[in-house]
Formats: sequence, structure tokens, C-alpha cells
Amino acid sequence: MKSQPTTTLSLIWAILVILVAFAAPILAPFNPRQPVSDPLSIPSTTTVLGTDSLGRDLLSRLLYGARYSLGLSILAASITILAGGLIGLLAATFPGFPDRIILWILNSSLAIPGLLLAMVLVAGLGPGTSTVIIAVGIWGIPGFARISRTMFKQTLSMGYVDAVRALGGNWVWNSWFHILPNAGFRLIPLATVHVAWAFIGATTLTFLGFAGDPSLPEWGSMLNAGRLHLVQMPHLAILPGAAMSFTILSIHNLGTWLARISKPYSVH
Amino acid sequence: MVPLLNRPASRTLIAIGQRLIFGLLTALTAVTITFFALRLAAGDPLSSLLAQGLATPLQAEVLRVSLGLDQPLTTQYLDFLSSLLKGNLGNSLYTNRSVITVIMEQFQHTASLALLSLCIAVILGLGLGIIAAWRKGSNRSWLAETISGLATSLPVSFTGILTIMILSLSIRTISGSRVLLSSKELLLPALVLGFASSGAIARVIQSGLEESMLAPYMLAAKARGINKESRLLWHALRPSLPPAISLIALEASFLFAGTVVTETVFSRPGLGRLLVTSILQGDYPIAQGIVVLAALFYTFSQSLADILAFISDPRLEKAN
Repeated sequence: MKSQPTTTLSLIWAILVILVAFAAPILAPFNPRQPVSDPLSIPSTTTVLGTDSLGRDLLSRLLYGARYSLGLSILAASITILAGGLIGLLAATFPGFPDRIILWILNSSLAIPGLLLAMVLVAGLGPGTSTVIIAVGIWGIPGFARISRTMFKQTLSMGYVDAVRALGGNWVWNSWFHILPNAGFRLIPLATVHVAWAFIGATTLTFLGFAGDPSLPEWGSMLNAGRLHLVQMPHLAILPGAAMSFTILSIHNLGTWLARISKPYSVH
Repeated sequence: MVPLLNRPASRTLIAIGQRLIFGLLTALTAVTITFFALRLAAGDPLSSLLAQGLATPLQAEVLRVSLGLDQPLTTQYLDFLSSLLKGNLGNSLYTNRSVITVIMEQFQHTASLALLSLCIAVILGLGLGIIAAWRKGSNRSWLAETISGLATSLPVSFTGILTIMILSLSIRTISGSRVLLSSKELLLPALVLGFASSGAIARVIQSGLEESMLAPYMLAAKARGINKESRLLWHALRPSLPPAISLIALEASFLFAGTVVTETVFSRPGLGRLLVTSILQGDYPIAQGIVVLAALFYTFSQSLADILAFISDPRLEKAN
């Protein structure tokens, strides 16, 4: 397989963001929520990237932003993947009436544009970080459940599933030890791409101001705050926006790369 | 142009009828999901009014009775459905104006933005998809593929802000800034939003073209001596259009969601901004009304696209 430079770059960036997310308290020179200098000061030796409109150190906020943005989207994606995967598994293992009902509900929920469904949930739960996680998590469930249903269905039609059935394996045993590991392996690329979608979703909701806490060092909220000073201090918006976009692109690239290497015999 | 299909008229009517019934049922389910998601998530829809001190507990109690919030959930749901059928979506909690009126005021702003973005998305998506499929592996094809990949994955919030920044920088340098500034009103937001939606269209067109280029009728067309341009743009493109039409309908409704972000970025009035402010204020009738209308619009455009695809592709027989 021809190795692509974009894949390598994506991997490097993704690892970097994960490392920064973990090591933010060590790396950040200042508290990201406290003012350290004059508002909107230019980069200097103490504040390397300058300060934002409330005098908080931009570098520290960017570093902590990796932790919050990535954390929000990974938690949201876990809700989607766990719930969506379970629904898909249930639909696939109970064909006929239950499957049809589940598919009907999934298709109808896909009729509400995801962002709007997420916003309905924000309207109900009130702005906040946990709301963002829940809303983005639920946003992805119908789509992910539908894909995983297809995956599980394909796995269920394999010969070894029949073999286990013939040997007397029951439903729980079958899905836990045979279907889940096999289909789950094929779901990994999709789940990875899904983290990228959750990242877009979470940063969109925080960009719209639904994170509640305006002092939260998170890339989406920072992008929104920075756009007010776009002419004098463009880096306040450009840096979080670029960090966000690079992260989305690299997770997305990694997902498609995983999909490519996990089916080596396909035409694509 | 396109030859009429020799499909019995009765079968066409039945298929269209099936799709319409399916669309209505889907709309009903979507409206139901919206209603219950909002009610179950919101413990008390009036809590934000109370928290902001805009209503005394006594006033809230009166409002609750007049909104029917003291009724059991199923009664509320049935009331909601019957007033929806009458075209009544309730009143705003803050201004007490009818939700329909408030929405209609903002509708034109969002509609013009969404319509122009859709045109841009279709033109850009078709162009990128055709270029990407034209000569697979060439630099131009790679570039088109990269651009459509960027279009799908770059968040609208960031591309919008980048565009505004480039605009404000060029206003300093280029004279005739008034033309540039007026483009900020509609053209730029539409470009940003259209670009975001063009990626998916390009991908569907590209994979459709690549698939149909392998089909035997392409070889037959080549044998008949038809040149490459007409082969690609007529013989190969036509069968890849139905999936693109369904996708464009899908995009049309997602454009509506996209306007939420675009309107915020460009500080444009419209339904998206209305939705964001009504959610932040806790004005649930407005939020509910906008989402319900969006869901209805979505299922309507989806059914329309299904019917169009059915009419344009003789291979589609079964309604699914």
C-alpha cells in the first residue's frame, strides 16, 4: 500500500493534540481562565501569543482548548457509538417486526436536521458542557445505528454464526463473543470518522454559545469570541479555528485511512 | 431530450402515492420526536422565565394553565397536533406574538440565503465531481478531490470567519470597497454555505461517474465514435443524477441547519439567529415551531426528490 503524506501528517497532528490535551496543565504557562495582562495585548516574551479581550493568555487557552474540545467530542462520540451500536445490534439480531420498527424510528429521526435536534435538546436542558455532550451524542445516534445495523446484519449472515447456532450458542453468547468482535472491528473506521463529526458538532454548538460558561477555554467558544476583534487581532480567531479544522481533518483522514487498510481487497 | 419512460401511468401514480404517504408518516414521526425531545428534556419550560425574574410564580402559574402545561403530556401532544393542523404554533413567551408571524418575518432572509447557497452548491459540486472523475489520477482530479474533501470537513464557522477576514483585509487595499461590503450581505454567506454543501454533491457525482464509466454502454458509446466529452457529460452523467438529486434534497434541508451558523458568523437576520436567541432565552414555542417547520420542510423536499428520482430513472421500480 502506498503510504500517503497526508495520513502521516494527520497521525502526527492527532497524537500532538492528544498529548497536549493530557499535558495542558504542565504545558500552559498561565491559568486559562484568569486575566494575566492587559486585554488584547500583542505577543510578548511573557505572553507568547498575546492575550484575549479579557486579558487571558491565548497560548494557555489554546492548549487547554485541546483538552476541552477533544474531551467534549470524544465523550459525545462515545454516547453515539455505544447507543447507536446497541440499537444496530438489536435491530440486526431481531429481524422482522422489531427491526422494521427500529428502522422506521431511525429514518424519521434522520428527518430532523441533526443540528436542529441538538438545539432542541439544548433548549430543553439549558446551555452547558454536559448538554453539549448529550446533544451531540444523541445527534449522531440515528445515522450510526443505521450503519452499524447494516454491519451487524452482514456479520450475522456469515457461516460461522450459523455454526455457533448449530453448536447451541445462545443469543447473548453469540452477539458478545462472535458478532461484536467481528463487526466491531469493521466499525472502528466508522467510529473514528464519527469522532470527527462529533468534533464539528461540539465546536459548532460551543461556537453558538451553548457551552454556557463563557470563560471555558474551548476552541469553538474562542473562535466566536475572537471574531469580534477580527480586524485588529485576527489571530484570536484564526488560531483556534485552524486548530479545530486541522483536528477535524486529521481525525477524518485517519478514519478513511483505517477504512482503506481494513479492506485490502476492495477496488477502491 | 430525455425520452419519456414507457412505464404504465397507473404504476407511476401508485408509486408516487406510496412515497407521499411515507413522507406524511415520516413527518408525523419527526414532529412527535421534536415535541417529546423538548418536553422530556425541559423539566419546566417556564423555568428560564422564572429564573430571569420575568414572571412571578403566580404569573407563571397562570401562563402554565393558559399554555396547557398543567395537562397530562398526551393531552398536550394531541392539542399540539390539532393546533399544528390549524396552522397555529402558539405564541412567544416573551413578546406574546404568534410564532407563525415571528417566523414569517425572518423567513425571507433565510430562504434567500439558502436558495442562493443551494445553487452555488449544485454548480460547484457538479463541477468538482466531473473534474475529479474526468481523468482519475491526474493533478487536476486530485485537486478537485482535495477541495471537495475540505468542503465537507471544514466547519462553516471557521470558513465564514476566514472569508470575513480576507474581505476586511482586501477592503483596506482594494478601492471600490462598497461593492465588496455589499457582497457581505448575501453573496459571501451564500458562498461559504454553498461551498460547505458542495463537497458531498461532488463526491456522489464523482463516484456515480466512475461507476457508470465502467458500464458496458460506455464502451458501446465509444464504439459508436462518440467523443469523450459527450460520453462523460451525457451518457455517464445521466445515470448518476438520481442519487445526486436525492442528496441535493437532503442538502437543502441541511442548508437550513447551516444557516444557523452562517447567520451567526455574518450577523445576518434570519431563522437561524432567531432559533439561537430563542433557545438562549428559553422561548420554547419559537424554538419548537422552527424545528417542526424544518422537519416538515425536510420530509417534503425528501419526498419530492424521491418522486423526481423515480420519474427520471427507469430502473427504480419499487418504492422503498
